[in-house]
Amino acid sequence: MSAKIRTLEDLVIIKDKVDKVKSRFRLRVMLCGGTGCHASGSLKVKDVLKAEVQSQGLADQVEIIETGCNGFCAMGPVMTVLPENIFYQKLDPDDVIELVQKHFIKGEPVKRLMYTDPVTGVTIPKLSDIPFFSHQQSRVLRNKGLVDPESIEDYLWRDGYQGAYKALLQLEPNEIINEVKVSKIRGRGGAGFPTGTKWEFCARSEGDVKYTLCNADEGDPGAFMDRSLMEADPHAVIEGMIIGARAIGSHQGYIYCRAEYPLAIKRMNIALEQAREYGVLGKDILGSGFDFDMEIYQGAGAFVCGEETALMTSIEGRRGMPRPRPPFPAVSGLWGKPTILNNVETWANIPQIVLHGGADFASVGTESSKGTKVFALTGKVNNIGLVEVPMGATIGQIIYDIGGGIPGGKKFKAAQLGGPSGGCLPAEHLNLQTDYEAISEAGAIMGSGGMIVMDEDTCMVDMARYFMEFCQDESCGKCTPCRVGTKRMLEILQRICAGQGQEGDIELLEELAGDIKDSALCGLGQTAPNPVLSTIRYFRHEYEAHIYDKRCPAAVCSAMFTSPCQHTCPVGMDIPKYIALTRAGRIDDAYKILKRTNPFPSVCGRVCGHPCESKCRRGQLDEPLAIKNLKRFVTDNAKKPRVKEIPVTRTEKIAVIGGGPSGLTAALELKKRGYAVTVFESMPEAGGMLRWGIPAYRLPRKVLEQEIRDITDTGVVLKTGVMVGRDISFDQLNGNYDAIYIAVGAQKSWPLEIPGEDAQGVWGAVEFLRQFNLNEKIDIGKSVAVIGGGNSAIDSARSALRLGAQDVTIFYRRERKEMPAQEEEIVAAEEEGVKIEYLVAPIEVMRQDGRVIGLKLSRQQLGKFDRSGRKRPETIENSEFVVRADAIIAAIGQNLDQSFLSKTSNVLVSKSTVNVSESLRTSNPKVWAGGDAVTGPAMVIDAIAAGQKAAAAIDMSIRVSKGEPAWVQPPHEYIEIPFEIDEETVECPQAKMPELPADKRRRSFKEVELGYTMEAAMSEARRCMRCDGNSD
Amino acid sequence: MNKKCICEDHYDVDEFTDEQWAKVDKIIDKYCGKPGALIPVLEEVQAVTGFLPEVVQRRVATGLNIPLAQVYGVVTFYSFFTMKPRGRNQIRICLGTACHVRGAQQNMDALEQRLHIKQGECTADREFSIDVVRCLGACGLAPVMTINDDTHRQVKAVKIDEILREYQPENDSSKEHYDVCKN
Repeated sequence: MSAKIRTLEDLVIIKDKVDKVKSRFRLRVMLCGGTGCHASGSLKVKDVLKAEVQSQGLADQVEIIETGCNGFCAMGPVMTVLPENIFYQKLDPDDVIELVQKHFIKGEPVKRLMYTDPVTGVTIPKLSDIPFFSHQQSRVLRNKGLVDPESIEDYLWRDGYQGAYKALLQLEPNEIINEVKVSKIRGRGGAGFPTGTKWEFCARSEGDVKYTLCNADEGDPGAFMDRSLMEADPHAVIEGMIIGARAIGSHQGYIYCRAEYPLAIKRMNIALEQAREYGVLGKDILGSGFDFDMEIYQGAGAFVCGEETALMTSIEGRRGMPRPRPPFPAVSGLWGKPTILNNVETWANIPQIVLHGGADFASVGTESSKGTKVFALTGKVNNIGLVEVPMGATIGQIIYDIGGGIPGGKKFKAAQLGGPSGGCLPAEHLNLQTDYEAISEAGAIMGSGGMIVMDEDTCMVDMARYFMEFCQDESCGKCTPCRVGTKRMLEILQRICAGQGQEGDIELLEELAGDIKDSALCGLGQTAPNPVLSTIRYFRHEYEAHIYDKRCPAAVCSAMFTSPCQHTCPVGMDIPKYIALTRAGRIDDAYKILKRTNPFPSVCGRVCGHPCESKCRRGQLDEPLAIKNLKRFVTDNAKKPRVKEIPVTRTEKIAVIGGGPSGLTAALELKKRGYAVTVFESMPEAGGMLRWGIPAYRLPRKVLEQEIRDITDTGVVLKTGVMVGRDISFDQLNGNYDAIYIAVGAQKSWPLEIPGEDAQGVWGAVEFLRQFNLNEKIDIGKSVAVIGGGNSAIDSARSALRLGAQDVTIFYRRERKEMPAQEEEIVAAEEEGVKIEYLVAPIEVMRQDGRVIGLKLSRQQLGKFDRSGRKRPETIENSEFVVRADAIIAAIGQNLDQSFLSKTSNVLVSKSTVNVSESLRTSNPKVWAGGDAVTGPAMVIDAIAAGQKAAAAIDMSIRVSKGEPAWVQPPHEYIEIPFEIDEETVECPQAKMPELPADKRRRSFKEVELGYTMEAAMSEARRCMRCDGNSD
Repeated sequence: MNKKCICEDHYDVDEFTDEQWAKVDKIIDKYCGKPGALIPVLEEVQAVTGFLPEVVQRRVATGLNIPLAQVYGVVTFYSFFTMKPRGRNQIRICLGTACHVRGAQQNMDALEQRLHIKQGECTADREFSIDVVRCLGACGLAPVMTINDDTHRQVKAVKIDEILREYQPENDSSKEHYDVCKN
């Protein structure tokens, strides 16, 4: 039992004493003991570590301290070894012996337990060098990971209670309030009310009894700043409250903490005991004559109790319902007495403000938002944890620089700020500053600091439903707008998510939201519609997809589909079925299933972008199923039934312009419906980009020809070598046919728009690949530079190698993770010897006698975020350099070649694509368009889907005009689908696709991927978890 | 807060031991006369009795000398209080935002399917009960589920069976004993 602290000297004596003790140790091990690390097993690690240090006789050299939350919760259990500041993560009790032996005894830190940057793969030993920490600025969390939260002496060592000393013995109450006002600190609980002003109101209120409250009812799901603060630095909160109490003349305080935080409550209680013991709490604090004590009040689980008046009602022992204001709590609060209530983080900031002055605090931040803010960064982000940044840091900096971006190469979709009262901000707001006003203008709120990152797999309608369900559940029921209004909104959202949305639902939601905002009694109700409004504002298209197309683009709302893979496939291929059949060894049946929805399964089994795999639930366990490869296995091994001719049963004639995947699919679908269809193809053979864009080593011509033959065998007439606009005019077709489908693709490469581009040896990727695939001789030279980062860039580079180029380099202006090309293609190219340079952009083609001799480039650095959510490359000054190049291939984009259209075609084209309606109809009512011609370069499967959609629309339009009923698909042959799943799901990665060795394929046109063996295919098929359940 | 009326529940049978009642009375005595005592009393009492059926609420009301309606009002308002018994193994599944985004709902579906009970219910043999919590503040480990004092991090729906097996009574691991706790 120590003597009570009476003077500033006493404080300094303890500080020096602790300092001496600590300096005796050679190493100081700060093991995180936050809730997150506890749950990950840090207590066991601590026990083993202590025992091992003891048994090695290191107890007087190595100090082991269990600290509060370090913030990097996802890496738990974590630990920092001082003074070198080495950071260890994901510790296991089994690691301890090695750690003690190597690091503590031999002085060799253990690399395998250190942090590895997920992007670069580099190991970073020091905590201060890890981006997660180095981009932060610790003020309110200044003690995290440095003190034992259960030791007041550690806190005193860090200048603890000096602010309280100053407030109690050196400042008058109005001076304290003034200091807080100068700091311009605003409430960290969410509303952002100026703290000094609040205190001033309360200080002015008459009354002998006043209360000082701390709101630790951190109810926002996804927020844990207050928990961490209480666990890591409980005395900071107590000290802040003592100062606040002195400022308003209060002698009793309460900390209202939620029951879900047992560790925080325990540590706060220990801290309170110690504070009393040391004379910084209770009667005659620090000899000042000022009395103040407080206790912890454990909440019983009601979100609404985060609202100040409800919180007070709850402390009074009643149902925690809010009451109308005024009177404000500063006048009449707890038990009718003047009361101030501040959030944990606000209180924890106060000691530093008083000690170092308000001006020091205000030196950080933006004009209207001062100081730092702690955010709980969670969700789909690599570095999950607690981060403290100066106000004004952008959301993008927090998510990317500190958070390390989105895991698994997925795309960022939105950041949710402010919990159930907040909103979702899309990629276009990544440059938004964390500032109370800026965030609320964008449709969210600062809130208490929860920042939940969402990626492409998050459904925004489901998110809105989730928050509305939360608010509805937590609505206290006192006022009608909130009690009934949130229920009605929830019902609408549930309906939309269940695939029963109706036209007008969005408008109804907006109307209800406005009414509830205007009329609800308290903050909970007034802000409850925010998540809905912000998602409608930024993601209206997702609502529309749910309501009109009955589709959930993120494949979350499971009432709308049987399996996420099938739902995600643009043509709805019945993936679980053919995989089940593959598993059962019924390859021929599997092939029939494939052909039902996709006329190009062999093609797609090789070159599909497989969006299905990105939504495969198996991916949440280990890796998604190799759906594409399995499809290929089926097509390689199944017996392919001969296709019979389909008779023409209708009088209408239809012309399709373009014999690519979209045109051929539309032709087949129209043929099935009884029309006479003619496809006009300008090239000598059909196939479009499949034939003239994709090289044969990826898609053998025989495979493609077989699938095209299956279409022409039905009686579709294919006229190759006929170019519309040259050999036959568009107007002629318009006159001779009843409907036209334009599927000409995007056949023209974008120019680089740099000087010298007209030199001989500069190619567009499309034109280059076309020549290459026509087997025309191309003199590519020795050095080839490819510009771009998509699949065409990779195809061009690999083709250039096969044409004999010695060195081929791809120059890309962003980083690798931003490359739109498929990862497996990039890897294959690298294996073959293609070099890739990142963050470079071309400036000029160097030439001699009209021929390319080189390329001048400049280095790029990443600047602010662009609308796509990627950092925009910016030129670094004076960074130009020249590379030798005999040929340059520009693969930066493709657009429509519209020379086939006549002036009188009446088909409107904007920029580089054909304009179409929702049903793919153009401005000419007889003409439809789809595929790359409409979307710009996209996946094969998108083009096929467009062909199907256009065919259905053309057919429907003709039938409607003739008053006929809609076409009905004839029933398919019945195929029984087995339902077999493994009893136990054991983690195992995707079966690897066997490939030709890189040195053998480099100059060869043979197919690189060899296809699965029967054994590999069967075991891969077994990995399917059959999300479709027992639906058949 | 969609709680049923107390009269629909049938846990009014006194199933508590004398020892438990003595503890309850002691808690009431400790707080009696203190303003705002009801919630702390109920928290401590629930720690003793496991849940707060009518008999317990009556005892508290009488002891603190407040109307039963007030006790019932508070019990039904706060999610921490329950009028239904909890399982020997209390499963608490976090449906906070971070857990939701990372697939907590799939875990919930798997649990409900496996135990044949809905959230807020208890298996007939009182082995397991499932409760929803809105954020345990351990978002770094999402999706999170706690069973008794154990925290299970980054839970995957396909692993639910494996996790439950650890808690099943040894002699009936094969038993399909999970029927809805019909009151």
